[in-house]
Amino acid sequence: MGEESAFRQEFPVTGGDFARAGKVSCEIKNLAKELGLSDRVVRRVAIASYEAEMNIIMYAREGRLNLSITPDRVRIIVEDSGPGIEDIELAMTEGYSTATPEMRELGFGAGMGLSNMKKNADIFEISTEVGRGTRLEITFLTNGQRA
Amino acid sequence: MKTPQGHAIHISLERCKGCVHCMTACPTQAIRIKDGKARIAGDRCIDCGECIRFCPNDAIDSRTTSFKDLSAFKYKVAIPATVLYGQFDNATLPSEILFALRRVGFDYVYELSTICELNMAAIEKYIDSHPRPRPLIASVCPVVVRLIQRRFPSLCENIIPIEPPREIAAKILRANLPRILKIAPSDIGIIHITPCPAKMVSINFPVSMEKSYLDGAISIRDIFNPIFQALRQTKEEAIMSRLFPETIFSGLGMGTALSGGETRGLKNHRTVAVSGVRDTMRVLDQVETGLLKDVDLLECMVCPDGCVGGPLAVENRFLAKSRILRLVSLLGERTVMDSSDISALFHKDFLSFQNPIKPIQAYPLDDDPGRAIQKARRRTRLIKQLPGKDCGACGAPDCRTLADDIVRDLAAVSNCPFMKEAK
Repeated sequence: MGEESAFRQEFPVTGGDFARAGKVSCEIKNLAKELGLSDRVVRRVAIASYEAEMNIIMYAREGRLNLSITPDRVRIIVEDSGPGIEDIELAMTEGYSTATPEMRELGFGAGMGLSNMKKNADIFEISTEVGRGTRLEITFLTNGQRA
Repeated sequence: MKTPQGHAIHISLERCKGCVHCMTACPTQAIRIKDGKARIAGDRCIDCGECIRFCPNDAIDSRTTSFKDLSAFKYKVAIPATVLYGQFDNATLPSEILFALRRVGFDYVYELSTICELNMAAIEKYIDSHPRPRPLIASVCPVVVRLIQRRFPSLCENIIPIEPPREIAAKILRANLPRILKIAPSDIGIIHITPCPAKMVSINFPVSMEKSYLDGAISIRDIFNPIFQALRQTKEEAIMSRLFPETIFSGLGMGTALSGGETRGLKNHRTVAVSGVRDTMRVLDQVETGLLKDVDLLECMVCPDGCVGGPLAVENRFLAKSRILRLVSLLGERTVMDSSDISALFHKDFLSFQNPIKPIQAYPLDDDPGRAIQKARRRTRLIKQLPGKDCGACGAPDCRTLADDIVRDLAAVSNCPFMKEAK
């Protein structure tokens, strides 16, 4: 089955909207369950989409998660208009964070976000432009694996 | 007593008026109105009993053990949940209530607060000996276990594999009573007294053991009046029961009837206590997205304020809670269990699950991945077309659930009165 018959849904996320934090990743998680993906894949998708959602809320003005699911893979394309990332390599380092003290007080910004996404994904691509925004492409291969 | 679908919840077709109260209250969208009557979809129901609370026509109850069923046993043992102590006025002491239970027809009454304390100590030992995963989730509430199996399958491994106090108490009795009383094990009936409809299901269809150590569960609703009458008639006995306190109560264990009770005994751990079925689902959602990793023990109880808010209790939960808190403060935090006994039982695996909790595949849209995707696409289109009023007139709790039913071939678009109009 090809790309044209994939399940697609766009989830907009507003920067600074901490009150709704976790809603989008929760919806994505439930979709993955309803589509019969294995617990392991569901868990990885849930964790990575939560990190992506939180990154937009914490750092960007606005952004969106574009979910597409085929029998072989789950793909989430995350795009935001935000500050962009100056040094990707540094940003990917576990523990590196540009979070403000306030964010840290709320328990966010441990510097695990990007590395955590990469760790849970099978394919992880990142492109960014300082002052404009960031685009992530996170892919999870399901290999037709079922729960 | 076993219902065909393996549930305790029962809807009386005679009393049901086909209104939407239970259907919209159901946290797992397990109820539909068909042919003017509410019906339960067996595979979605987790026996939480929310529908019992919300039915305005008293049409929903639970299939618990009845008094008549007790006659099957020569020797009847009651294990009342500590919630029972909060059902009567402040002047009625737990020892009087236990005394009254004997009057009602039980040959022996086993007090549960000490076993609750044992359970807490075992949970602490488990946490200390298992650095991973986090958070660990307490398994005392049977609805939480059923909920995790179906809705949060990846969290099955977070459930602490220690049997709840009611089963441990029954196990202790099973191991000892036949020998002490010199009667056949099959002549002994061990009955839990509970405010919870799900206990019956956990007895009939246990998930962590081959067979429950309990023989049944009587609801507090059903046994309240007999106890009340016995208490009235036995004022003199009540004095005797106070003069000869036959039972040791645990203040720590007593508190487990309330939300936060399990975590109260853990002084050196990070704990979170949640109560209420929707809040429990919200927090479990967070755990599944990788949060709460810095929490050692997550206590979830699906009834508001804990077991004290069980749908089959009689007294309102605020009064009951206040009485139990009073007992807890009277009894203090003195522990009654011997720590070396706890260690021995823990290491002998006397307290552990027989079988691990297994995930239950929760109704995917289709077994075939390609078809599941097509159904999800169709569902998204349907959700856009449906009016979004969530009125329930179609017999499904909300428009999204109707769309879901349609793609599963369980309902038709024409069930929606607004869609008919549009045609």
